[in-house]
Amino acid sequence: MNQVPFRKRAWPLWVGAIALAAANVGMFAFMRAIGVFPQLSMWGAQVYNLAGVKVDAPFTVYPLTPLLLDVHSMINFGIVLGVAAAALLSEEFKLRKEHWTGYVAALAGGVLMGFGTVIMPPCNVGGFYSATMALSLSGPLTVLGLLPGAYLGGLLMKWQTQRAVAALDFSAMPKGEPVRARSSSAQPLIGAAVSAVLLAAAGYYASVGLTKHAGLLLFGALFGVIFQRSRLCFTSAFREILISGNGTLMKWVLVSIALGTIGFAILKANGYQPMHFVLPVGVHTVAGAFIFGVGMSLAGGCGIGVLWRSAEGYTRAWVALLAGMMTAGSWVLIYGKHVGEGWLYGKPVSLAQYGGYVGGTAIVFLFLAAFYGFILFVEARKRERA
Amino acid sequence: MRELNAIQVDDHHYQVDMRGWVCPYPKYAVEGLVRKFDRGRLDLLVDCPSATEDVPKVVKAMGCSVTEINQIGGGEWQIVITK
Repeated sequence: MNQVPFRKRAWPLWVGAIALAAANVGMFAFMRAIGVFPQLSMWGAQVYNLAGVKVDAPFTVYPLTPLLLDVHSMINFGIVLGVAAAALLSEEFKLRKEHWTGYVAALAGGVLMGFGTVIMPPCNVGGFYSATMALSLSGPLTVLGLLPGAYLGGLLMKWQTQRAVAALDFSAMPKGEPVRARSSSAQPLIGAAVSAVLLAAAGYYASVGLTKHAGLLLFGALFGVIFQRSRLCFTSAFREILISGNGTLMKWVLVSIALGTIGFAILKANGYQPMHFVLPVGVHTVAGAFIFGVGMSLAGGCGIGVLWRSAEGYTRAWVALLAGMMTAGSWVLIYGKHVGEGWLYGKPVSLAQYGGYVGGTAIVFLFLAAFYGFILFVEARKRERA
Repeated sequence: MRELNAIQVDDHHYQVDMRGWVCPYPKYAVEGLVRKFDRGRLDLLVDCPSATEDVPKVVKAMGCSVTEINQIGGGEWQIVITK
């Protein structure tokens, strides 16, 4: 094998898992935890308003705000810039075109994720990863929807691949010239320029007194670099448990949640934002998660996943992102109320109400152990069958 | 139906072009591809970074080997599988 330079080497999953937990605890201590879809929903509502359709943003804590002044949107911009810089520096950026069926899948996936995020709420990383760390009862419950949803979406992708492979005939293959390697690219230089733009933007926000904006932009970029280099894809983590009988990714996600939960519990136990990311819980949690799970498999990524792939040049992700934004952004027109209001949603329940923060943390660890055990069971079954 | 773009380069040497197929498609395809070709060399072209990690794992689990992973352009790789 050729020696791969450090800038091109993928980070081990354990590095990604630990870094992700540290970044999420750090960003919560700074202001808030990771989650991207509510901001995307606000972006969608902004587009409707610009087109003359008056609609409020679906999440009341993410009101209609010019995007470059919205502090929460800084996370999304940071992720895009961080991923783009990391992808370019490692020469992994490419403007990737898709077959038309891929765009149809992305459109369907984006629409499903858009509905899923307002019904669940919010998205995979916010609703499962951050919410579980934040001791929200809703976090563990999303697994009941995300797991089967991602499995169903994955089955469709696997079926499509198997049909394409079955149609190949190695004995009657046309002869042709192999693709040759191209010479070196200017990607690292462009990556350095994107990094400079990121730092300049953060510096500008800080210089005009918007230090929270600057901070979240840099935290977003940090998340982008972690996701891009470690390939810690939450969609794949859910999908592959039942599709391939391989739970390696999810096991590291669970370790990451365990580490982060300790940090969140300590902060909250000291009176810091005790209800942060404690979300409404009810039947809608599981139903929304199922819809979101199918959608993220078809789209090729969850909220963060499509932001991340968009910045790597996947045009399929661009379609999913736009479809998700516009669907979630129309929620108040469809439902007539904001997320968390009315007949559809239950009340937020913090696990800290069961034995305080020690008891709540213990419940989260029990859930993580049970999920880990389920994965080990699935993997053992797969080995038996093999 | 979406089709795979494949050619025969030489005797027992094939190239399957999966550029434009996002992950996890290459991982799902390689099991069937390795089963289908009898022996020799199969070059799988991919443009999703995760495939350079996932595909070799599937190939090795099937008792075959990945002898090279070459970057052939920005965001594009050639995974050389031998059977």
